[in-house]
Amino acid sequence: MTTPILVLDGVTKRFSGHTAVDGLSLAIPPGVIYGLLGPNGAGKTTTIRMILDIIRPDAGSVRLFSETGRARDHSARVGYLPEERGLYRKMRVVDVLVFLAEMKGIERRVARARALAWLERLGLGPWRLRRIDELSKGMQQKVQFISTLLHEPALVVLDEPFAGLDPVNTQVLKDVVLELRQGGVTVLFSTHIMEQAEKLCDQLCIIARGRKLVGGSLSDIKRTSSGQHLTIGFDGEAGDAARLFAERRLVKQVDDYGQYAELELTPGADPQELLRLLVASGARLSRFQVMEPSLHKIFMDLVGRDAARPVVREELITRA
Amino acid sequence: MPKVLAVIRREFVERVRSKWFWVSAILVPLFLAAVILLPAAFASSGGPKRIVVVDGTGSTFGQRVTEALRAGTTFQASRVTASPGVIDSLMREVGAKRLDGVLVLARDVVRTGAAEYRATNVSSLRDIGELRRVLGSVVTTARLERAGIDPAVMARAEQPITLATQKISGSATTGESSAQSFSLAYFMGIILYMVILMYGVNVKSSVLEEKTTRIVEVLVSSIRPFALLCGKVVGVGAVSLLQLAIWAVAGRVLFSQRAALAGRMGGLETDGGLFQVPHVSTATAAVFLAYFLGGFLLYSAMFAAVGAMSSSEQEAQQAQQPLVLVLVASFLSMFAELNDPSSTLAVVLSVVPFSSPIAMPVRWAAGDLPPVELAGSLVLLIAGIVGVTWVAARIYRVGILMTGKRPSLRELVRWVKAA
Repeated sequence: MTTPILVLDGVTKRFSGHTAVDGLSLAIPPGVIYGLLGPNGAGKTTTIRMILDIIRPDAGSVRLFSETGRARDHSARVGYLPEERGLYRKMRVVDVLVFLAEMKGIERRVARARALAWLERLGLGPWRLRRIDELSKGMQQKVQFISTLLHEPALVVLDEPFAGLDPVNTQVLKDVVLELRQGGVTVLFSTHIMEQAEKLCDQLCIIARGRKLVGGSLSDIKRTSSGQHLTIGFDGEAGDAARLFAERRLVKQVDDYGQYAELELTPGADPQELLRLLVASGARLSRFQVMEPSLHKIFMDLVGRDAARPVVREELITRA
Repeated sequence: MPKVLAVIRREFVERVRSKWFWVSAILVPLFLAAVILLPAAFASSGGPKRIVVVDGTGSTFGQRVTEALRAGTTFQASRVTASPGVIDSLMREVGAKRLDGVLVLARDVVRTGAAEYRATNVSSLRDIGELRRVLGSVVTTARLERAGIDPAVMARAEQPITLATQKISGSATTGESSAQSFSLAYFMGIILYMVILMYGVNVKSSVLEEKTTRIVEVLVSSIRPFALLCGKVVGVGAVSLLQLAIWAVAGRVLFSQRAALAGRMGGLETDGGLFQVPHVSTATAAVFLAYFLGGFLLYSAMFAAVGAMSSSEQEAQQAQQPLVLVLVASFLSMFAELNDPSSTLAVVLSVVPFSSPIAMPVRWAAGDLPPVELAGSLVLLIAGIVGVTWVAARIYRVGILMTGKRPSLRELVRWVKAA
């Protein structure tokens, strides 16, 4: 395995008695798209802020590019898109981009040329001399997205990058992210929308309540995280299905929609046995499919009802 | 280092580009011009008064009064010899506004000293004062003549004295007169108060904007918060200096052209006007600049902390109240310092860092100042800046990443300790 570009080792952050991130460890290899998944309040943003050295962990360490030094020392190689978006409202688009690139140590002239090229590419060329507050929300998001890439970072950290984007712009950004990976850039992004993660991520980590639940490559997680899944469709007659689905020897969990059901089999159970029993009970089937579980399903299983409990949105600073 | 420069440049360029900068750059000199020119314009509204002297003296006295009035610029005077009905016909002229007034001189005016002025407007202190002065002087001369005094003796006796007041600093005169000292101290006080408040608030808004838009997260992942704060303060400070320079140039031009301007507005230039052209010595300018910079640094650091601990403009408005109050109090105390620059109150205020940026330059301009006090005040101011910046930077560092309600005083103390 190649040397990871980013390593978190037992990182913990507490806010006034509440633990936002609890002993989180992960390692991100270079050149992958890495998803940090979790429900709201799971500690994704806190984790990202610690990676970027915006806040300091109470325990554990963050190491970037397998080098010592804090994230700010490496900031020229890191691009960051915060969860809550915002730009200088009264500044002109191109000036904002140049300024933010300067913060990453890029020379003004270079920054300007790159900014203009990116604006052109994302269809914002005619807007380059407008003030930020004259742009629509979507356009502002694109400008901010550009600002995270202008200094050509090796690691791009995107906190909920697709939140609030329309499908067209979402696709534009996805294309850019995929292109970044082709260029060897590592992308770490957080989301709670599993469909996006499933399409984009090479590797991922699911966290809830500050703890890592599972991590690794998408295929590994699918293979190991849960048992066999079935999708069953009924053709009018469900027979004795309800009783059979309650059979814990065969079925671990079920989402029964009446004419359609998603099942997770108890480990060791044979799908063929269930099929036989269903047919014998008089059920007419239109569909019987052994499935690879969706990431959404895995996520729901792992996070479960735990996630539905309210979580206090935390502030950044220790008040204890 | 280039990052700090970029922060400074952004603050400077964006502010100078904004229309507010130019509005205040133009409005303040306009206000100044109004203060200088309007009194002159009001005092002489309508140009010289047309009056007729009805001469019933039967001597050369009426002639002399008329000539003396003509020598001034307040009146356009002509003389008619008194005869029955002439006053009535002149009154009709006044009624028809072809004439502004009638000065009636009776036969025994030199003896009694009593004359009569009839006019549509007898409330103009300036006009009446001028009349009284001219009459008085002619009457005095006439009386002395009657008493047989040699006109040459009188001419010598009337030689006016000129009292020039010179402010002494150390043992050298500064070229600043007392009237000038007052207006200079007054102007300096106003400008220091205004600019420190204006640009302190600017620093606060800048901090608040980055905080509320969360740009600050991106920034502090690239640049140390303290460097960001410094860049901000220096950038805004540079803008304030530019603003001051514009005002200074505009003020200089206005003052030097004020005679011409007043003349064009139909007024007349009197040297005893409301405001003397202040002569600003190099030392005074240096003291002003030093305390301006000191005051700006001191207050802008605190305003930055206010911006960092608030999450909205409204919150910041409230949080800055104590700061603004201290500034306003320092400004108002200026009048005590002008009144008696060496009173205990004035000395204390000009040494304490929070009030010294306004109090000390005012005291300096108003009167003589022991160098020890100036030096002590400066040392304390610098110490104050270092201390306040140290605390403010800590509050800033924690506050800019903080969301939620405004911290209590106890929490602020914890921030300062924790950071």
